[in-house]
Amino acid sequence: MILQSGTDAIRVTDLSVSYSAVVEIPRHQRTSPFKKHTRKRDIEAVKDVSFNVKSGSAVGLVGGNGAGKSTLLKTIAGVLKPSQGQIDLWGRPHLLAPGMGFNRKLSGRENVILGGLAAGMSMDEVRDKQESIIEFADIGGFIDLPTTTYSSGMFGRLAFAVATHVDPEILLIDEALSAGDASFRSKAVQKVKDMCNEAQTIVVVSHSSSLVAEMATEAIWLHQGQIRMTGEVNEVTAAYEDFQKTAKERAQLDRMIAEG
Amino acid sequence: MDAATTEDTNPPISRRTTALGLPPLGDYLSEAFRYRTFAWYWSKADIKARNFETVLGRAWHVLNPLLFGVIYFIFVGILAGGLGDAERLALIVGNLYVWMFFSGTITTGVGTIQNAAAGLLSQSAIPRVVLPFASAISSVNLFLRSLIAYVPIHFLAQRGIHIEMLWIPVLIVITSLFGFGLSLLFAVLNVYIRDISRLLPHALRLWLYLSPAIWEYTQVLGPSTLEMIARWNPMFSGMTAWTIAFGGPLEAGGPSIVGQIGVFTAWAIGAVIVGFLIFVAREDDFAVRN
Repeated sequence: MILQSGTDAIRVTDLSVSYSAVVEIPRHQRTSPFKKHTRKRDIEAVKDVSFNVKSGSAVGLVGGNGAGKSTLLKTIAGVLKPSQGQIDLWGRPHLLAPGMGFNRKLSGRENVILGGLAAGMSMDEVRDKQESIIEFADIGGFIDLPTTTYSSGMFGRLAFAVATHVDPEILLIDEALSAGDASFRSKAVQKVKDMCNEAQTIVVVSHSSSLVAEMATEAIWLHQGQIRMTGEVNEVTAAYEDFQKTAKERAQLDRMIAEG
Repeated sequence: MDAATTEDTNPPISRRTTALGLPPLGDYLSEAFRYRTFAWYWSKADIKARNFETVLGRAWHVLNPLLFGVIYFIFVGILAGGLGDAERLALIVGNLYVWMFFSGTITTGVGTIQNAAAGLLSQSAIPRVVLPFASAISSVNLFLRSLIAYVPIHFLAQRGIHIEMLWIPVLIVITSLFGFGLSLLFAVLNVYIRDISRLLPHALRLWLYLSPAIWEYTQVLGPSTLEMIARWNPMFSGMTAWTIAFGGPLEAGGPSIVGQIGVFTAWAIGAVIVGFLIFVAREDDFAVRN
């Protein structure tokens, strides 16, 4: 599937991503107190997925919990490795990760530098953007206090402000728009929209169909690690919402039958 | 779903594949070099944060190894049937500062990978080697601070000034490289076998006892097997070189500092090469297994 015209920024070909997780064996299933209480479980999070994202486009990824959205995004970002297939990139990706690299014992101002450098900015870039980041976070005199003294909302605002002051060629956003109170959220959405306008390519993941519809023009619906639908954002999110509604009604019906 | 069909004339600037093993080392090192300022700043922040909530704050960077040295001085004195003189205290304190620098490089390097360092492993493609490298910078920084406390002890004990002291900067680099190489190796092992981080402090303590840090390199350890183990120990040459660098040769005609540094350097280079190659070849597993 090809999303929008132009040259490719991301090309995902026959991608599968699986990994092993260590899970605890329930007490009633343990055969001996001397044997290990954990076992490995293989999880195939993304299965045989292919799509292209064109340079300059904004694509949304929708799907329920465990659909493979975050795994797919992390694989594009280079955090995870494909188990099968490959991803080609024409641009440096940046996964929007608020709070990455932060040290909670340092002041907000120091964390602006640390977080900016962790996000791949040079020291000059961080210094240039420092005041703008602080202004955006809008946490007043707290900026020079250790971040351990911050409320979670204040910390989220600062972390979001740092993460969104990077100038990426490919911007990857994974549920990163929930920082702060309602007024900050609208500011955050606007900031990401501005980034979308400046960045060449955007891939945004969210549980919220309306948020995806607001930020993307095309969408991919992932279900249990596979692509279920692709196309124009409103069509895909409408289909996804219908599916969710039906699934919910079916679950309710099943529960009623089970309860007699 | 349709397959990807677009043909592009420009080759991609990066490609994520299933390929296992080593990435192109030139690209890897240049990407790691891009994060050099981050490593430096991360290390500074780490040092600042370490004694953040204590009353004495940064003084602990000096006090901690000093107290460690005094405790070992008393401990060794009890075993020897007498505390010994000020020169012995200076020797033990100086050597223990070096040991804490070396073992700290290993344990904090392993810790940065184990603790997934502030989301950097799960949310960023930053070359993982940057994190233990930043820890190694912190260890050098802390060691230089601890030397401030050692200087008055050195002169009070009348250990004097020796030409061998000129080797101290070289020894700092070699000790740091050896610790860094081992931290890479143990960090990888610890990703697969979590017990490594539990065993490491005990192994390092045993290693300390088998190295001429709290005893002089001129001493014979007793049973020949123990003596042989001690002499094959890389830190035997390392601590011998440090002892000579701090206080001059303990006996005429004993081991030369140049020879000991040569052996220690070979171990350090070997540890860095092996540690780096294994670390880089396995680092894709870190995000999943942490």
